[in-house]
Amino acid sequence: MSDVATVSNAPRVSRVGSAARRLLASQETGLVVVVALLTVALVALAGSHLDRRTGLEINNFWNANTIVQTLTDASFFAIMAIGATMVIISGGIDLSVGSIYALSGVTMALVLRDAGTMGDAATALTGIVVCVGVGLLCGVLNGVLVVGLRVHPFIVTLGTMWVLRGIAFVVSRAESILVPGALTEVTKASLGFRGGLYPVPMLTMIALTILGAIYLTRTVMGRHIFAFGGNLEASRFAGLALGRIQIGVYALSGLTAGIAAFLGASFYGSASSGDAQGYELYVIASAVVGGASLIGGKGSAVGAMLGALLIVLIRQSIRTLHFDQNYEWIVIGCAIIIAVVIDQWSSRVTAQRLTRAAEATRAAA
Amino acid sequence: MSVRRHGWGRATMAALCAAALACSGGEKAPAADSGAKSAAGGKADSSIVIAMIAKESANPVFLAARTGAEAAAKELSQKYGIDVKVEWLTPPQQDGEVQAQRIRQAVNDGVDAILISCSDAGKVTGAINDAVDRGVTVMTFDSDAPQSKRFAFYGVDDEKTGQEAMADLAKVLGGKGNVAVLAGNQNAPNLQRRVQGVKNEAAKSPGIKIVGVFNHIETPQDASAEVVRVDNAYPSITGWVFIGGWPLWTQSLLTDPNFGRLKVVSVDALPPQLAYVEKGVVPVLLAQSVYDWGHVGVQTIVEKLHDNKTPANPIIPMELVRVTKDNLGDWARQLKAWGFTDVDPKYLALPAAKK
Repeated sequence: MSDVATVSNAPRVSRVGSAARRLLASQETGLVVVVALLTVALVALAGSHLDRRTGLEINNFWNANTIVQTLTDASFFAIMAIGATMVIISGGIDLSVGSIYALSGVTMALVLRDAGTMGDAATALTGIVVCVGVGLLCGVLNGVLVVGLRVHPFIVTLGTMWVLRGIAFVVSRAESILVPGALTEVTKASLGFRGGLYPVPMLTMIALTILGAIYLTRTVMGRHIFAFGGNLEASRFAGLALGRIQIGVYALSGLTAGIAAFLGASFYGSASSGDAQGYELYVIASAVVGGASLIGGKGSAVGAMLGALLIVLIRQSIRTLHFDQNYEWIVIGCAIIIAVVIDQWSSRVTAQRLTRAAEATRAAA
Repeated sequence: MSVRRHGWGRATMAALCAAALACSGGEKAPAADSGAKSAAGGKADSSIVIAMIAKESANPVFLAARTGAEAAAKELSQKYGIDVKVEWLTPPQQDGEVQAQRIRQAVNDGVDAILISCSDAGKVTGAINDAVDRGVTVMTFDSDAPQSKRFAFYGVDDEKTGQEAMADLAKVLGGKGNVAVLAGNQNAPNLQRRVQGVKNEAAKSPGIKIVGVFNHIETPQDASAEVVRVDNAYPSITGWVFIGGWPLWTQSLLTDPNFGRLKVVSVDALPPQLAYVEKGVVPVLLAQSVYDWGHVGVQTIVEKLHDNKTPANPIIPMELVRVTKDNLGDWARQLKAWGFTDVDPKYLALPAAKK
């Protein structure tokens, strides 16, 4: 999924076999297997209870409500992680996604409050446009500052993290602002599912993951992002528009934060300047666990989604298995560090093996 | 091959290490807190599981509420011959969205009731309504979600609390002075109402001027630091209203000379705060019976579920207790009876207040 399929004249069976081998060898397949194993373990250990609605005994984890709830909880991080992954692939970082989320949500809530009563469709459309638009603008701001000031993105987005949340605080006067019911009806639409199941956030997550994957692997701009992050000098000599690429990835990061903010504010019913505090850490963790490399050139939208899902599953497992929830941060933090350390060790071992193989080949020659 | 190793290695180790750490470092919660009913264990109505979701898990007022809830669970289990369990699902820090997630998780786990203090009523109202629609009884305490389908709320009248605090301070200041208000989390609806009460009461005294309302993260450290910052920035301040007792949960302000010259009235009266009353630094504490948040909450829920008894008025008022030097001993003994283990023995030895 991370590599572009190359067209060949090989027989159809070989092409299918080759694609299957690439699929099995891909990073995302590994993540899918781990998520599946964790799910199986949770189902086995979760215990059961009597479902109030049906009177039947149901598994504490493997039931429609818990599955949809887990996917919903993951969706906000995953959507932001898709944008953040693009930034990380380019070799940058965006610490301001949580603040963009807060500012986008608060701005939307204020605009809708001041706009007064509108039709449901107009309310929803206005909400989406404002929320996503603010997110996009904030992302463009980040990109312009990074390119224009030539300051490391860590510093720029650290600053905008404060500034944007501060703006949200001031404009909202620290209030928690309710959003119109029409928005909640959009994000809590049942779409034919039975009552109590709200599939819109998770379906949005899946749709954006597919779009993100297509963008990164099937478009010229997507390939340029990989090139920029993989080898900046080569990209420069190749004549790529480096400034435009950088602004573009931060714009996309802001865009996905705005989309997540719309879903979050609508789903939970209000927006405040305190929303999404600390989300940037979950988002970056999702991207990294999903395979993005902090030195650039590597990552995927599907990996970002699976990384978010894995982190939320770990969180859910602490809850479902009734472990002391105070250990949640410790567990997640350790899991992330260990996963990345193992991956780096694995990269070094592979590089050493390749070096030895090359030397052996030269010696033989 | 390297991609496969990366893909499997990174994610596998993440999940396995998480599982290993959770098993080794995260003990199963103790029996009093253990959650979802096991259908194999007995009939559904032989146990009642109540999920308790306060605002933040390290805040001593909510830990006191938890103690009260667990004590009530034990008493009622014996009284009714059923198994009443309290499951502590409070997030580590204040976050309305996380509370909404915990509500949904609790409902999915099959709890019978939820007892919640809302960090952000706007965020949790939808989740509370969904829970009620799915047959889960919900009661609020301390900070209400009045637009929700909760069946009862137990707590102080927050606006009246703010008014009482300001009235006491105005009396101590002789009716004139520059007053600062320490207000905690700006999004908490109960604290917002207390601030409004302070302002309404201050407006009645022409000599009292509110210099500002100051918000902060609700930890003792952050609250104390905010008090010191504001005192330095506004040397004209002569008095403080603390609408929550956060900075007095440490001793750091006790010996601060700047703080000592001010007059302070605070809500809450936990054991660390008693020294401030003893030394005269804070002449009045307006105590909430935080233990009763949990005790009365669980009792009310169990009476509803077991006896189908609903309170006549959904708002169950809690009266504040004024703690001064006169009744410091009585209050210290009450805290001890509620299970607080950090009450200084010297306060327990103080004589009872004269009637």
